[in-house]
Amino acid sequence: MGKLYKFLKYFFITFWAVFVVAPFLWAISTSFKDFNSVNGGATYIPWVDFEPKLEGWKVLIKSPANGGVDIVEPYFNSLFVTCTASLISIVLGTLSAYALSRFTFKAGFVKNNDITFFFISQRIMPPIVLSIPFFLFLGAINLLDSLIGLIVVYIVLLMPIAVWIMVDFFNKVPREIDETALIDGCNPYQAFFKVVLPNSIPGLIVAGMFCIIFGWIDFFFAFILTFTEVQLLPVKIVALNSSITPWWSLSASALVSVAPLIIVAFIVERYLSKGNLSGAIK
Amino acid sequence: MNFKHKYVFLFPGLFVLIGILIFPIIFVVRLSLSGWNSYNGLNFIGLENYVRLFTDDPRFWQSFLRLSFLSVTTVILQYVIGFALAHMVWKDIKFQRFFRVLFLIPMMTTPVIMTVIWRTFFHESLGPVNDILSNFGMSPKWLTDPVLAKFTVIIVEVWQWTPFMFLLLLAGLLSLPKEPFLAAAIDGASPVRKFLYVTFPLMAPISIGAIIIRLIEASKIMDTVYVLTSGGPGTATETSSFYIFIKGLREFQMGYAASMSFTYLIIMIISLTVIAKVLTKVLLKD
Amino acid sequence: MKIIKTCLSAAISSVLIFSPMAYADKWSDQFPHIKATGDIPGDCSYEEMSKKNYKGKTLKINTHAVPVIGQPTALHAEQFAKLTGAKVDVTHTPAGDLYAKAMVPFKAGQAPYDIVFGFSNFINDWKRYLAPVPKKYINSPEMKDVTKSHIGVSSWDGTMYQYPVDGDRHYLKYRKDVIDNPEMQKKYKADTGKELRVPRTWKEYGEMAKYFNGWDWDGDGEKEYGSAEVMKKDDLMFAAFFSRSVAYAKNLSTPGGFFFDLETMKPNINNPGFVEALTDWVEATKYVPPGGINFGLGDEIGSFGGGQTLFSFSWDDAFIAAMQDDSPIKNKVGAAPLPGADRVWNRNTNGWENRYNQAPYIVWGWAVGVAKKSKVKDMAFDYLCFFSNGANHQADLAIGNFGVNPFKNSDFDPNIYIDTMGWDPEIANSYTKTLLDMEKSKNRVFPLRVPGVFEFTSAVATGTSKALAGQLSPQEALDEVAKEWEAIVQRVGKKAVQDAYAVGVKMEDNKL
Repeated sequence: MGKLYKFLKYFFITFWAVFVVAPFLWAISTSFKDFNSVNGGATYIPWVDFEPKLEGWKVLIKSPANGGVDIVEPYFNSLFVTCTASLISIVLGTLSAYALSRFTFKAGFVKNNDITFFFISQRIMPPIVLSIPFFLFLGAINLLDSLIGLIVVYIVLLMPIAVWIMVDFFNKVPREIDETALIDGCNPYQAFFKVVLPNSIPGLIVAGMFCIIFGWIDFFFAFILTFTEVQLLPVKIVALNSSITPWWSLSASALVSVAPLIIVAFIVERYLSKGNLSGAIK
Repeated sequence: MNFKHKYVFLFPGLFVLIGILIFPIIFVVRLSLSGWNSYNGLNFIGLENYVRLFTDDPRFWQSFLRLSFLSVTTVILQYVIGFALAHMVWKDIKFQRFFRVLFLIPMMTTPVIMTVIWRTFFHESLGPVNDILSNFGMSPKWLTDPVLAKFTVIIVEVWQWTPFMFLLLLAGLLSLPKEPFLAAAIDGASPVRKFLYVTFPLMAPISIGAIIIRLIEASKIMDTVYVLTSGGPGTATETSSFYIFIKGLREFQMGYAASMSFTYLIIMIISLTVIAKVLTKVLLKD
Repeated sequence: MKIIKTCLSAAISSVLIFSPMAYADKWSDQFPHIKATGDIPGDCSYEEMSKKNYKGKTLKINTHAVPVIGQPTALHAEQFAKLTGAKVDVTHTPAGDLYAKAMVPFKAGQAPYDIVFGFSNFINDWKRYLAPVPKKYINSPEMKDVTKSHIGVSSWDGTMYQYPVDGDRHYLKYRKDVIDNPEMQKKYKADTGKELRVPRTWKEYGEMAKYFNGWDWDGDGEKEYGSAEVMKKDDLMFAAFFSRSVAYAKNLSTPGGFFFDLETMKPNINNPGFVEALTDWVEATKYVPPGGINFGLGDEIGSFGGGQTLFSFSWDDAFIAAMQDDSPIKNKVGAAPLPGADRVWNRNTNGWENRYNQAPYIVWGWAVGVAKKSKVKDMAFDYLCFFSNGANHQADLAIGNFGVNPFKNSDFDPNIYIDTMGWDPEIANSYTKTLLDMEKSKNRVFPLRVPGVFEFTSAVATGTSKALAGQLSPQEALDEVAKEWEAIVQRVGKKAVQDAYAVGVKMEDNKL
C-alpha cells in the first residue's frame, strides 16, 4: 500500500512537472529560431536541428523604428502599477475581510455572506463592456493614460480577491485569540495588527500573490485605458503581433515576463512554510 | 466589543469599491437600454436589446451552454488535480521546494502571450505535439476538430489555472491545526480514512471559496479562446464572454453587448449562489 | 550603376525633375534609410520638411504592430522629429484591435491620437471623426501619382478622409518551380490528363492543389500541401471568402451591387454564385495543410512564405515573405490574378451564364486619417505626406516586412523590384502586370464600406466558418448570413446602409 502510493505519487508529480515544463522548453527553443526555421516544421535543439538566432531576444530592446518594441520602460511601469495596486488592495481588502469574519452586519436582508459575495461578484462582469464606462470615468477625472488611473482600476479588480481569500483565512484563526488579546488590554486595532494578522500570514501571502498575478497579467484594461504616455508590459508585447506572428519574439517575451514572478513564487513558498510554523507555536 | 469598530474595518474597502464602481455599473445598465454602436450614440430604445437577446439570439444561449460545460469541467479538473498536487507536496517529499515553486509558475504567465505559445505547441503541421505523435501514426486535429478543440482549450486552461487551486489548497493544508491529526494517529486511522475524515472536512471551507472564485474566473475565459481558435472551428469553442467580446469590441454593438453582460451577470450571480449553497450542504455536512 | 538606375526611375516618376543626386548626398548621409535614392524633390521631401519648425509640439500616432506598417510609422516618425523638431509618440496595436482602440475614444468625444491607422473599410464609421485631407495635399504632384482605385478607396463620395500611404489587393501566389516545371507538367498530364498551368479558374486551382497535397514535391524531406488560406474565424476570413466569390458572383452585365441589390437592399450573399464559391471553399479544407482551417493571416504567410504550400491568395505579405533574401524559395514563386470561373451567376435572369469570368477584389488595406479634434492637424498631414514622399516610399517598398505595397502609378515599374530587391525580371514583370491589370479592370469589386461594416463581415465569418467546419451546408450557412444581414440592415436603418452602399456601387459600376 505504502509503496504503491509512493510510486504513484512520484509518478504523478513527475508527469505533472513535465506537463508544466513542456511549453516553456518549447518556448525557449522557439525563442532562438527565425521565420525559416519555424516554418520548416517542428525542430527542437539549437545547432543540431536549426541554426540559433538571437533576433527573438533582440527585438525586445530595440526601438520600434528598428523593428523592435523596447520593453524596458513598460516593464517598470508594470511592476509599479502591479505592486502599488496590490498593496492598496491587500490593505483595504484585509481590513474589510476581518470585519466580515469577526463582526455581524445586518441591513435588511443583507448579511455578512451577502456583503462578501458582493465583493467577489465585482469580478463576474465581463471586462469588455466595463471598458466604456471606465474610459469615461477616468476621462472625467483626468486620469486616462496615467499610472494612477490604472492603479484605480486595478484596485477594483484585485480587492475582491483579497477580501474573498482573507475571509476564509480569518475564519480559521480561532476567535479566542482576539478575545484573549482584548482581555489583555489591547484595543480592537491592536488586537488585529499584533495578534490576528501574524497568525494569518499564509493567507496574506496567498492573497498578495494572487493580486500581483492578476495585476501583472491583465491585458484588457491596460490596453483600452492607455494611449501613448503609459504602456504596460503585456500591451507592449502584443504590439509584436503583426501580420506575421513572430513565434520567436513572443516566446522570448513570454519568458521575460514570467521571470519576476518566479522570484515572487520563491518568496511565497518560503513564507508559506513559516506561516505554518508561527501558526503552530502561537 | 465596541460597536463602531466594525465599520472602521469594513468601510474603507467597501466604499472605495463602491466609489469606483458605482458609475460604471449604472452606466452599463443604461448602456444596455441603448442602441449604442458604431453609428448610434447613447439613445434610448427601452428593452429592445433584451427582447432580441431572449427571442432572437440562439447563438448567445448556445455559447452559454458551451461556457458552462467548459468552466465546470476545467474547474473540477483543476480542483482535483490541484488538491492532489497540494496533498502530495504537503509533507515529506524530495525536492519539496522545487516542486512547490514549479507548480505555481504556469499561473504567472500572461494568457494573451502564453496562449500564442500553446497555439504553436498544438500547431498541426509545425508544432511539436503532432511532430512527436506522427511517429506513432497519430495526428490529432487539436485545433480544427470541433470536439477535440474544446479539449485543447480545457488542457490549456487546466495548465494555466491548476496552480491557483494548488496554492490556495496548499496554503490551507499548511495552516491546518495539528491536533486532529494527532488524534487520528492515536486511533491508528489508515491514510485513506485520515484523508476522508480529517483532512478533507477541514479543507471544505477553503475548497468552496476556491471553487467559487475559479468558476467566476473560468467563466470569463476569453484570451485562450481568442488566440487558440477564435471560437472556431465554426462556433465549436465560442463562449459567452468571447461572444460578448465579438459583439462589443469587434462589431461595436456596445448597447447589445451591455445587455448580454448584464444578463450574464444576473445568471451567474444566481447560479453561483445556488452552487455555493449546494457545495456548502454537501461538503459541510453539519 | 544600380543606384543610378534606381535614381533615374525615381526621378522620372516624380513630376518635378530636378537633380536628385544633388540632394542625395546631404540627406542620405543623415538618413541611411533613403540611401538608394537620396532625397526626391516634392512637397514633403526631406528638404522641404527640414524648413518646418514644429519645436515644442507633440504628435501622437496609433499604428499597427511592429514591423508591418508599424515599423515604417516609427521610423518616419523618428526622421520627422529630427527634421522638424517635433516630438512624435507612436503606439503599436495589433490589427484586430485597431478599430476599437480608436473607436472607444472617438465615441467618448476624445482624440488621444492625432493620427490613427486602420483599414480602408473603417472609413464609414470613422469619417465623422476624421479631418478631410486639405486641398493643398490633394493637388500635389505626388497625390496625382496615386492610382485611381486607391484614391477611391481613401475617399468617401469625393471627399478624401484617408491619406494614401499603402496599396492592398488580393492576388494569386503560386510556386513557379512546380507550375512552370516541365517534368511536373508531364507528370500531372499523365496522371490527370490535364494541363498544369497557372490556374485560370477556382476549379483548376482546386484540382491542382489536391494533386499536390500531402507529398514531398520539392524534395526537402517535409510534406508539402495544396493551398494556404485564411480560414480562421476572425476578422480577415470574410475577405478570403469574397476573393473566392467574385469569380462566380460579380457580373459586369448586372450592375447595381455585388453584396446587395442596391435598389431593394436584399442581400445577394446567398445566391448560387456565392454558394458555389463556398462549396469550393469547403472542398478546399481537403487540400490545406493540417490545421489549415485554423489559419489566420499570419499562418498563411508563414505557410506559403515558408515553402509549405503550392498556392495561396490574399494580401502581398506571403509573396513578399517568400521573396526575402534569406528565403529558401526566393525567386521560385509567381504572382497572377485571382482565378476566375467558367460560369457566372446572373441575378437578373436568375440563371448561370456559361462564360469565363474574372473579377479583381480591391480589398481594403492600410489606411490612415487625422482626427478632427486634433490640435496639430497641419503637422499631422505634413507627417503623412512625409511618410509617403518619393524617397521614403521607394525605400519602404524595398523592405518586405514594412508592409508598404504599390499604390502609385510609378510603382508599377518592374525595375524597382529587380534592382533594389533582386527579383527575377520575369517574376517582377508578372507581379507588376498582375497589379496593373487590376487597376485597369472594369469588373472590380470594392470592399463593403457601410455603417456597421463589422457586423456584416462578422456575420459572414461566422456563417462561412460553420460551413467549413461542417456544421452547416454552404446553402444553409449563407441563408443564415443573409438573414443576419437583413436584420442588421433593419437595425442600422435601411436608408443609411443604402446611401452608403451606393457610393461603393458607383465605383464598382465605373461611374466615379
